Amino acid sequence: MSDFEPKIVCFSCKFSWGYLANETSLSSQIKNWIPIICSGKVDAKHIMEAFKHGADGVLILGCPEGDCHYQDGNFETKKRVQLLHKVLDSYGIEPERVRMELSLDPEGKRIPELVKSMSETVRGLGPVRQI
Amino acid sequence: MVAKPKVAICWLGSCGGCDEAVVDLNEAILQVTSAVDVIFWPVALDFKYHHLEALEKGEVALSIINGHIRNSEQEEVAKLLREKSQLVLAFGACACFGGTPGMANFRSKEDIFNWVYRDAPTVVNPKGNYPQPRSQANGKELTLPEFYEQVFALNQVIDVDYYLPGCPPPPDLIANAVNAVLEGKLPPKGSTLAPHKALCDTCKRNETKPDKISIKDIKRIHEVEASPDTCFLAQGILCMGIATRGGCGESCININMPCRGCFGPVEGVEDSGAKFISALAAMLDAENDEEMKQLIDKLDDLAGYTYRFTLPVSLLQRKRA
Ligand code: SF4
Ligand code: SF4
Repeated sequence: MSDFEPKIVCFSCKFSWGYLANETSLSSQIKNWIPIICSGKVDAKHIMEAFKHGADGVLILGCPEGDCHYQDGNFETKKRVQLLHKVLDSYGIEPERVRMELSLDPEGKRIPELVKSMSETVRGLGPVRQI
Repeated sequence: MVAKPKVAICWLGSCGGCDEAVVDLNEAILQVTSAVDVIFWPVALDFKYHHLEALEKGEVALSIINGHIRNSEQEEVAKLLREKSQLVLAFGACACFGGTPGMANFRSKEDIFNWVYRDAPTVVNPKGNYPQPRSQANGKELTLPEFYEQVFALNQVIDVDYYLPGCPPPPDLIANAVNAVLEGKLPPKGSTLAPHKALCDTCKRNETKPDKISIKDIKRIHEVEASPDTCFLAQGILCMGIATRGGCGESCININMPCRGCFGPVEGVEDSGAKFISALAAMLDAENDEEMKQLIDKLDDLAGYTYRFTLPVSLLQRKRA
């Protein structure tokens, strides 16, 4: 398992994350980086689909709590993720594989770092166990 | 006299409820049987597999197949029926989506065998015997169907022309489906012979559903005396009606039980569980993570609840190798 390279899908809200950054250069650094408008767009289905297509972990970056441009999209997704953790667990997909970070980083400097730390967590868990 | 169209009715991994639903057509079944020749129906008629084998390809106009597939016998029979039939109708939640037995896919075959043949408190099995596809007894070879790694819906094993969900399907939809075949008035291949919208669309409690549902406390149906007229969600009781295809005749709702989802996803939706989870998250009225956690902790088996009938066809299930 030592050569296991986790695949992380990162959805990030454009309102808080990396809007001042050069998207092309960021996306060349981060595989499977998906900038979106509002983390509230991330549905349970998208997260499950990421796993279906081979992701080992999903990271969702949203605006700081209380600062959503669409009222509370970030909190809505947070609730969804909390519910989904419970369902995914029954599939043998550990809750640590779906993480949400609500914060502000216009230059997107922390995005590669966060993806890396998520990779490390997931590396410890190994590939998703197929039931 | 023109030969009547041949119809086969068959159960695979089934409880018998779907066959019972056909019997429950009552008088209507007499009309059906006068219009068709039932050439195979294990639960009711004494035909054998070799009778099926003797038929020409495509000789059967319609095979109505209920139950899921989890062993090699079920697979063989399904394939045989497919070969002999012009049309195959997946009948009931088990054939359409894997059904309640599909929840076994939360466990591996190994887990299931260990529990059933070794660990369950009622098991006495000192020799540690497990069922084998082949074994020897008194110099003879005995065979059993092979138990597969997981439960499959019918269309994961053979090509299916039409779907009729329900656990079991209701009489009016069964009669419509059979008549549509007899009259040749069928929708495009692959269609589900039931309404397209969610159950809420026809549920009479829908009028009492507030525009925005906010659930502060999740209650289970046996813990409360549920109002017989008010939308279950408005009472804090989970109801799958929002994410489930209508057409069942609200048989559960009418006896004051929330919808459990046996009609599967609404038209165009692949995974009803994922839809339900997203909708439920929006309804849970929590101010912060802690409140959310308290609400979620009350859900004993959320995955089992949301995938009670549809786990084998859900997004995260392994496809058949
Ligand atoms: S769909 Fe329901 S009634 Fe039909 S075989 Fe399955 S469990 Fe029984
Ligand atoms: S949620 Fe359930 S009770 Fe409420 S309207 Fe829909 S089907 Fe009826």
